[in-house]
Amino acid sequence: MNPAIGYVSIAAVALVSALIGFYGLRVSRTTSDFYVASRTVRPWWNASAIGGEYLSAASFLGIAGLILLTGASALWFPIGYTAGYLMLLLFVAAPLRRSGAYTIPDFTEARLESRWARRVTSLLVIVVGWFYIVPQLQGAALTVRITTGLPAWAGSVAVAVIVAVVVAAGGMRAITFVQAFQFWLKLTALALPVVVLLLAVGGGTAAAPALDAALAPAVAFPTAAGPADLDVYRTVSLMVALLFGTLGLPHVLVRFYTNPDGVAARRTTVIVLVLLSVFYLFPTAFGLLGRVFAPDLAAPGSADALILLLPDRLVPGPLGDLLTALVIAGAFGAFLSTSSGLVVSLAGVISQDLLGGRVRGFRIAAIVSTAVPLAVALVTESTGLAGSVGLVFAFTASTLCPMLILGIWWRGLTARGAIAGMLTGAVLSAAAILAGAPLGAAVPALRPFLEQPAAWTVPLAVVVTVFVSRADRRGIPRGVDGYLTRLHVPERR
Amino acid sequence: MSDGGSETAAPLPPRPAGRARVRVTAPHTGGPAAQPAGRGARPGTSDVQGVYVRSLIRSQLRLALVVAAGFVIATGLFVVAIALVPDLDRTFVVGVPVSWLLLGFGLYPLVITVGVLYVRAAARNEARYRALAEDDS
Repeated sequence: MNPAIGYVSIAAVALVSALIGFYGLRVSRTTSDFYVASRTVRPWWNASAIGGEYLSAASFLGIAGLILLTGASALWFPIGYTAGYLMLLLFVAAPLRRSGAYTIPDFTEARLESRWARRVTSLLVIVVGWFYIVPQLQGAALTVRITTGLPAWAGSVAVAVIVAVVVAAGGMRAITFVQAFQFWLKLTALALPVVVLLLAVGGGTAAAPALDAALAPAVAFPTAAGPADLDVYRTVSLMVALLFGTLGLPHVLVRFYTNPDGVAARRTTVIVLVLLSVFYLFPTAFGLLGRVFAPDLAAPGSADALILLLPDRLVPGPLGDLLTALVIAGAFGAFLSTSSGLVVSLAGVISQDLLGGRVRGFRIAAIVSTAVPLAVALVTESTGLAGSVGLVFAFTASTLCPMLILGIWWRGLTARGAIAGMLTGAVLSAAAILAGAPLGAAVPALRPFLEQPAAWTVPLAVVVTVFVSRADRRGIPRGVDGYLTRLHVPERR
Repeated sequence: MSDGGSETAAPLPPRPAGRARVRVTAPHTGGPAAQPAGRGARPGTSDVQGVYVRSLIRSQLRLALVVAAGFVIATGLFVVAIALVPDLDRTFVVGVPVSWLLLGFGLYPLVITVGVLYVRAAARNEARYRALAEDDS
């Protein structure tokens, strides 16, 4: 592959993101502008921004790679990523908007009237955010290594620097514009290549070596890797993680505060469902194409590069170069947008809890929030983007999700119950994720339960939360009825 | 039912500028920020209002649980149906087995439909609450 294509498209995306960011800087002046874009963002803009922020390296590169690698079981990832927004719509969208809080820790403290519950929540939000940024930086490392031939760390460092600068300079108003732009960039960057490749393959105009090497359908899509060959436990557990992990992701929640009211928050979420459904058609199509035309890439280290390499294989020449430039741009957009969304919400939490909530504190916090995951990304290596993001969802679903849903819908939740449940979920799911590889090798029967822990860690976290809250009836906050009223009663019109 | 029917379809006009901007400031203590208060949020809420609010919360929760269960059951049935018809693995459309195409592309219309139905029903619950609460005050 021609390295110039890589350099040009990466530089172009970085430049455009920075420009839009600085344009936003001119309109973001006050502290509230910085945090929640003054709540004047329109539903379509907001929905595009949510999509732009949500569609990460795992969605852009990881899903197609996983379809190539494992077959139809990977089709559950995009379904879960989309349906996660359905759960968010059903259980948290409107109430959370009406809560009037800026961040998840703000919500926890207001609902439970406890500084300790707030501290535990803040800690979890920071952990979730950091470990979600890591795969983005690893995706950037992979993309830079494959497309430019530069050392992998250059990609991680480039994304980290751009994100830290844009977020620290512009805050969230700027980021809303950047994110909305990123969604349409990512959609175009996948949709156009898919259409061109399908036309080339269907019309027989694709490169002869690629067509000759194509697998027969029955070989490319064996029944053994098909939808009927379902590992029930793993699929159910993955779906629990994705469905309930989405509504606890810090960068997703902070977006809902930028809706004018609860009804607009619901409306925005439905638009997000539509945007995501359209988007996921394309990585899925890429994955299916890859099974036929690029079976040689089906190995853990290289499968995630499928989307970057396939256009050039099927339509070599100027058109292929153009499509390659487009997918590189889209991939970089994915790393930039998800990382900056996460950094905005992490910086919000860190600056409010530790640095006094001033704009200056926000800037320092933005740099800290980028530096730590960068350090982690530089010393670890990615084994599969979709898989590692899936584990972050499992952790979120086991910790923040039970507290949020019970806090919104159950009067009896107390600070002690919430803290006990969050710590239970955190310890169990982190232990399963960390011990998964060594323990799973020793006791193979335990492997699925350690590699996909959500199906047992989420229910246990909920049970602990409920039991401890029940035992702590006097701990029910005094203001609970007023606060629940505020969450559920429609706004004055 | 002032706005109940209009929030369902996906393409929506931008909302009027009049009530969009709300001035808020960063909370130092982490307490809830200023917001357009719900009617019942003021102190001294009457008992009757409290009953209405509790019934609104119950009906919204019931709705969310029913919709979530419906989605999960429908998805489960869809997958079991694919698994029970082995011919779908052997029938190829554009070179891909129909079973793969169904799982890869078939569930998104369901997700969107369920979402739209939920938003309608949730708005109906809120309109019912508003009618009761306004009659009473």
